This record gives sequence, structure tokens and C-alpha cells, in this order.
Amino acid sequence: MKPLRHDLHLLSGVYVLDAIDSDTERDRFERHLGRCQSCSSEVRGLREVTTGLAMAAALQPPAAMHGRVLAAVRRTRQLPPAADTQPRHRLWPRWWPQERSRWLPRLALAAATAGVVAALVLGVILAGTQHRLGFAQAQNGAIARVLAAPDARVLTKSTSAGGTATVIVSPSERELIVTTAGLRPLPASKVYEAWLINPRRTRPAGLLPSPRGGKTQPLLATELMAGDELGLTVEPAGGTAKPTTTPILVIPLRA
Amino acid sequence: MMAMDPRDSHRARPGAVPEQGGEHDLDGLLALVARGDEPAFEAVYTRLAGAAYGLIRKVVRDPAQSEEVAQEVLLEVWRTASRFDPAKGSAATWVMTIAHRRAIDRVRSATATAARDQRAAEPLPASDEVAEAVEASLDRERVRHCLGGLTELQRESITLAYYGGYSYPQVAALLGATLSSIKTRIRDGLIRMRDCLGVSG
Repeated sequence: MKPLRHDLHLLSGVYVLDAIDSDTERDRFERHLGRCQSCSSEVRGLREVTTGLAMAAALQPPAAMHGRVLAAVRRTRQLPPAADTQPRHRLWPRWWPQERSRWLPRLALAAATAGVVAALVLGVILAGTQHRLGFAQAQNGAIARVLAAPDARVLTKSTSAGGTATVIVSPSERELIVTTAGLRPLPASKVYEAWLINPRRTRPAGLLPSPRGGKTQPLLATELMAGDELGLTVEPAGGTAKPTTTPILVIPLRA
Repeated sequence: MMAMDPRDSHRARPGAVPEQGGEHDLDGLLALVARGDEPAFEAVYTRLAGAAYGLIRKVVRDPAQSEEVAQEVLLEVWRTASRFDPAKGSAATWVMTIAHRRAIDRVRSATATAARDQRAAEPLPASDEVAEAVEASLDRERVRHCLGGLTELQRESITLAYYGGYSYPQVAALLGATLSSIKTRIRDGLIRMRDCLGVSG
């Protein structure tokens, strides 16, 4: 039941209201936007209308929010400008604002110091030692936040293609960290891609960095939704917007 | 049934919304934020936090959860400011799009189901909570006026989807209409508002 072009065009209104719940339908519309100049200019105009609706709903935020946000800002690293080399077929980053599922690691967390600190911290956690993580916070707020969350849990599972993945998940922070050990090395044309698998919406969760010494640097995923499972697939280099192969690993994230 | 009267969104006193400079300033501020300028971020906060929080409250309703989402959104603005592209839309729109998507993600995730079901019981914000000074290049009165120019059905569909956070199939179910009529109604309504507000496409 592929809709006609004309029907696709009619989705601009519900699209800017974020009222399309079906991934398939939204993806199809976004692909259409990439080809249809008048549609993308219509979407741009209608989005400005929604901003009017937002402005009309303004309320005084709680006074304490200001301090909390500024404190968070001071310990949060910013993303560098988007690289021109972003794969074209990644759907979310293409339209605007980019990256519905936000993946620090591809963009910022590759910073070696952060990775080293996180790996150290990870070692501490995996050894089962309770340890204050204040030092890591200074280095990397995002990863430290997950590690330090009172409800952080460690999950480890073997993949069907060898090796293991270890996940530290914090439902309260809605974030998780993935590391792997002993995954089969891939040719340059392939990559391991992580997913947040959910019946409602499966989101790409970033590409595993190339392993060093058989291990991959921590990958941070944000915006977990209830019912998410972490999946890992082998995809063409650059990654895809949807899994195209059978996952070699699926880890349910919540009890 | 939830309170979806569009009038809810226009509780501020008319004229209480001073313009604090045009969109260009906000765009410029975001460029500074992208370079790690904290005072610039504070200025963006001052101008947009009220709208982001108010919008999120509309969708999420629960004050504690709304604050949480609003904080995430504002942190996201800080973190991803380098990705803001003024060629694609205004700074306010960029921020409000993030805010709305985050709010929607929150209410559509199953954990929020219970809280969402409580929404009807949640009292509406007291009028003194209404921001007295918000960034408003499209000011409330104009928005109210333009919403008033829609047909009842257009207005209802748009407010259910945008403020209510419902998907359009849910809106269709709530209003007992077909999917295609909801799509059309929402698009026509927004186009009419665009023309009324004088937004350029």
C-alpha cells in the first residue's frame, strides 16, 4: 500500500507536529523531502508556525532549573560541527534538527582521554568494587553520569558471532554504555552497528569504534525508551538507518 | 477528556510579551554557544527556556517530568549548538523542535503511560506561573488570533496533535475522523496559520 506522491505531500502537517508514529511512514516522507524542494520549503514554513504555538504556551520555568541546567552545561562536552562525510543514507541526521537518536561517541566521545578514563572506570565497576567516580565526572560528564547512576546495571552477553558485549545501563538517566571484547574483526567495508530495538521505534545507536587490542571503546547511547533492547548487527561501512542483517546480539535492557 | 481548549495556551496577559530583539540575535547567540560561550547560553536560556518548558508542560503535564525533559532539551541545545543551521530555520524553531520531540518521546514511551493517564487530573498551571516575558517574535496575540481563524476541526486536530502529543491516527480516533481527513485538516490549518502569521516558507 505505497501511498501516491500526492498523499506523501499531505504528510507535511502531521510531520511538523511530530504526529507520525510509524517509522516507515516518517522515513518515507523524509526520503521524499530530500527529493521535493517545495515539500521541504513547506515543512520549513509550517515548522515556524509550530514555534508560534510553542511560544504561546510559554510558562515561567521552575526557578531551580536555571542553576541545574547551567551546572550540567559546565560538565558537558559539546559536539563539534557536523562532518561533511556523514553518510547520506542516515535518515535522522539529514533533516533538522539532526540526530533524533543522539550518539555522542561518533562525534565527541572518541576523545582518547575520555575513552581511557571510561575504560578505567569500567574496569572498576566490572570488578564489582564500589568506587567514587568523581574523577571521571570531571573528565567526562556523560559517561560518568551513567556509571554513577544509583540504578546502573551491568549486563554481559556473548554474541552469536563470537566475543562478548558489556552494557552498563541506567534507566533513570535513560542512557547506556556499550563496550565489546573479542568481536571478530571486520573488513573495512563492514562495521558493527548498535541499535536500540523497540517495537515502537528502532533507532540506530551508533557504530562501534574499531577495536584496539580486541576491545572497543565505550559507546554512549542516550534517550532510552521503555522496552528497548540493545542490538548489534554487521552493516556496510558508514552504517545504515535500519538494521539490514540479523542481529548477532540482543540484550533486553530492563527487567 | 483532556483539557485541549486552545485558549489554554493564551493565558498570558496581552502585551506582556516584550520583544527582546529579532531572530537574528538568537541565531548569533547560538553561534557563540557553539563555541562554548556560557554567557551566550544563559542569554538563550533566558529567552527560550520559558517557551520550551511551557510547551513540554503542555505535552507531558507532570511538572517534575516536564522539568526533567526541559533540562535535557536545554542541555541538548548546549551540546549540539554547532549543528544549528540558520539556513534551515530560525533558532527558536530549532530549539522548539527539539523540545517537542523530546516531550513526545517521553509521553510515547511506556514508562510514561501511567503519568500520562494522570494528566486529566493534573491542575492547569496557575496564571501567575505564566511567563511574563518570553521570546516571542510570533507573539501570543497573533497566534491566538490566527488559531481563532481556523475551523473548529482544524484547531482541534492541531492542538490535540501538538499540545496533546497524540499521533495523527490517535487524533483521528479521538475525533472519529478518517486518517486522510486528519492529515488534510492539519496541513490546511497550519498553512492557514502560516499565511495569517506571515511566516515565510
